[in-house]
Amino acid sequence: MKITINNREYDMPENITILEAVKKANIKIPTLCYIENMEPYGGCRLCVVEVEGSKTLVPSCAVNISDGMKIKTHSKKVRKVRKTIMQLIVASHGISCELNCLTCPRSTTCELKIIAEEIGVTKINIPSVEKKLPSDFSSFSIVREPTKCIVCGRCIRACSNIQGVNIFTFANRGPNTIVTTFLDEGMGNVDCTNCGQCVMNCPTGALHEVYHIDGVWKALNDPDKITVVQTAPAVRVAIGEPFGMEPGTISTGKMVSALRLLGFDRVFDTNFTADLTIVEEGTEFIHRFKEGGKLPLFTSCSPGWIKFIEHNYPEYLPNLSTAKSPQQMFGAVAKHYYAKKLGVPKEKLVVVSIMPCTAKKYEMNRPELVGDVDFVLTTRELAKMIKESGIDFKNLPGEEYDNPFGISTGAGAIFGSSGGVMEAALRTAYEILTGKELEKLDFVSVRGLTKVKEAKVEINGKTIKVAVVNTLGAARKLLEKIKNGEVEYHFVEFMACPGGCIGGGGQPIPTNEEVLLKRMESIYEIDYDSKLRKSHENPAVKELYKEFLKEPNSEIAHHYLHTHYIARN
Amino acid sequence: MIKEKIFLKSDLDKTMENYEFIGLKNSLKLNSKNIVKKITESGLKGRGGAGFPTGKKWQFALSQKSDVKFLICNADEGEPGTFKDRFLLENMPFKVLEGIIIAAYTVKANYGYIYIRGEYSNAIEIFEKTIKDAYHRGLLGKNILGSGFDFELKLIKGAGAYVCGDETSLINSIEGKRGFSRIKPPYPVQKGLFDKPTVVNNVETLTAVAEIMKYEDNIYSKLGTEKSHGTKLVSINGDVKLPDVYEIEFGSMTVKDIIELAGGPKDEINFVVPGGIATSILKDEELDVLYTYEDLEKSGSSIGSGGMIVVSKKHDLLDILLNVSEFFVKETCGTCFPCREGNRNIREILLKMKRKGYKEEYKKIIGDLKESIMLAARCGFGQSSVNFIYSVLEKYFYEEVK
Repeated sequence: MKITINNREYDMPENITILEAVKKANIKIPTLCYIENMEPYGGCRLCVVEVEGSKTLVPSCAVNISDGMKIKTHSKKVRKVRKTIMQLIVASHGISCELNCLTCPRSTTCELKIIAEEIGVTKINIPSVEKKLPSDFSSFSIVREPTKCIVCGRCIRACSNIQGVNIFTFANRGPNTIVTTFLDEGMGNVDCTNCGQCVMNCPTGALHEVYHIDGVWKALNDPDKITVVQTAPAVRVAIGEPFGMEPGTISTGKMVSALRLLGFDRVFDTNFTADLTIVEEGTEFIHRFKEGGKLPLFTSCSPGWIKFIEHNYPEYLPNLSTAKSPQQMFGAVAKHYYAKKLGVPKEKLVVVSIMPCTAKKYEMNRPELVGDVDFVLTTRELAKMIKESGIDFKNLPGEEYDNPFGISTGAGAIFGSSGGVMEAALRTAYEILTGKELEKLDFVSVRGLTKVKEAKVEINGKTIKVAVVNTLGAARKLLEKIKNGEVEYHFVEFMACPGGCIGGGGQPIPTNEEVLLKRMESIYEIDYDSKLRKSHENPAVKELYKEFLKEPNSEIAHHYLHTHYIARN
Repeated sequence: MIKEKIFLKSDLDKTMENYEFIGLKNSLKLNSKNIVKKITESGLKGRGGAGFPTGKKWQFALSQKSDVKFLICNADEGEPGTFKDRFLLENMPFKVLEGIIIAAYTVKANYGYIYIRGEYSNAIEIFEKTIKDAYHRGLLGKNILGSGFDFELKLIKGAGAYVCGDETSLINSIEGKRGFSRIKPPYPVQKGLFDKPTVVNNVETLTAVAEIMKYEDNIYSKLGTEKSHGTKLVSINGDVKLPDVYEIEFGSMTVKDIIELAGGPKDEINFVVPGGIATSILKDEELDVLYTYEDLEKSGSSIGSGGMIVVSKKHDLLDILLNVSEFFVKETCGTCFPCREGNRNIREILLKMKRKGYKEEYKKIIGDLKESIMLAARCGFGQSSVNFIYSVLEKYFYEEVK
């Protein structure tokens, strides 16, 4: 198809939008309401272009190219209209230093700022509008500040199109249009899973996590407290990004070093309890598989997924593994074992988690789990603290984790990516069930960003069918299929976020497909480079059983490492 | 030809029994292609405001391959100053119904809706009865008048949003969704109600269809001018002595003549809005323009929906502007930024003028806002929302305050 863009002719494939075509011609058109791979919304109108023969300007995100089309992407008319619209957006965002930029969590990643600069807005001629809408503090995980909301609907679309959760909606009309939750009940009082994909898709600071930074600083500054920190698998491949490092850069050593510089007394690895989770969950699977227990077994480490199933499919709660998530296992082990080992009361110990996840903040507050973890920082929050301390993260020398909970295997590391839990579990289950050593450790078919992945494994002459699901939208579809008997599995891994924890709601913004792939690649690289790649071979895990938990799924292991769920329909 | 006030009450006092549905009967003898041809030849343009040729729309819909098609009669008349559809719905519901059935038969739609503005309670009542009677008489349902054509018609009450008069918003509303316009393309005739090909026609358009199909020869195309065929209902109101609905043959009268037809102005005229407040105004000295699509367009305005408002000099211009602005601020759906925020800001500036007087800088801001709304808003309502205010400011206000 021949089209003209800014007086140059191009040969373009059919059935692509003007926006896509222009991108192929190496020209960037500013967008705000547009989300890649999702149906266009056409609300912000920043992407309008001039098309010969059209009376009005044409939204490039929503209109396909046609043969002979003549497009002007940056004509005088287009630039003028774009500038006016951008001014309107900024004005509706309330122009005040305090409100907008200085204290805003998105001050360095604000899309309004970035796009205003790209469009060349240097002056706001339009008087600002004060909205004075109350903030929503009802959730343990996410804060909503509607005053900063520009009503682009990206959170609504992310919540419904990616996650199939649908907690957001538009309300009212005209300039009074707002984004809100069902009956304006607040995010803590609706079926929100706390996954944070709304935060990842918000262009402004209207949605962000509930900050635990102040509490952590207080603990670090308290000489009576012993601060213990754990870092989740997916944080190490993303924490470098806010410091200008390539997405996916493995920064484990620098992160450990930075945490020590911040003042943490012990720096441990959640990968350790990921290994512990595998041993418990793997044993649980073997038990159910052999004794005829409830199958398929569903994994339980993604708190967004847990809340989703509690709200939407409570009839499947018996299928959930009772194993706590690695974060909570760490908390329990730290408070009930490690404190004793140190000879201090557990009240003296402050357990902080660094998580790629916003739902973990909710998880630590669940009544049946509360008390084991004291604070959860997202990857973004940790980066803020490091910046606040003036630590030159990029140039830090690498350091090692503390013992004993710094020892982990490659199986623990891959928890960070969709398919990792399943792969780690299979490595362990196979060896325990067969008593033989697994020749090929890599279950490649469960890796990658595909929403639903399947694999079959032969164990003792029996075929075990597994599935791996990421995003809650895909989870809903798969559960419906299981319900209708269309598919049958023995074991299913569910992760709430796209790509698993690497795409978690607490990760640096922007997180897009390209970034996800880079982070994923690094996660598997960590696994390859590990000396130990099977959870049950982790010597520290073995030691923990010997000293404290006796054996997998023992009574004491159940007491500390397992939990129960609540039907919330 | 038609200069006197035509009350169009010919069918008013007759019951459905006496209404002969000649247009429908004639149509059922023809195939779709021939009806489309006849409507195309009549030169009928959509009377909702956009003025798209009806024959062309039907042809497009007819060429769509689909198991299900829909026909929607748009009776969500919300344009301030416009009440001609209400007149038709209340006074000649049979003729409206006739047009609906003809349109459905032509485009092969077996299901249809009439979406009536919720505020028109009288019209709703009348049309509910009309539909019920029509089912009794075999005019709706299976095998209409023995033709083999099946058509089910349902009435939907609008919940009171101006934007739902936009065909795509109207479709969303019928589907139970928020009244937001949809992105075009795809057009409703390609992918409309429940994603099926859907024809949306205005009440007046469908009444004209019934009238056109009543006659063997094409008398309709002989009325009017070369580019504006037939007649048009004008609902004239404001500062005139006899506000009402009048039927005007295109090209037979100037705007001034129409005002005279309505008893003349009550006071000295300041300006006239020829087609509802989504159109630009004509100043007192511009009223000699002939009432046709082409002449009004040349004068910088348009026929719009045919709601003519006469405004005399006794009104405060700024109050009128604020009133109209308030309307658009209240009724913009909120989806697209230029319309939502632009209209809000125009109101803010007008309020400032009211409180503190005019400042030269407002002119540029309003000019910028008008441009971005007109060029970049998502739907027709948004794009036309600034016509009235801007034209008043340009033609009068700026001059007056200087």
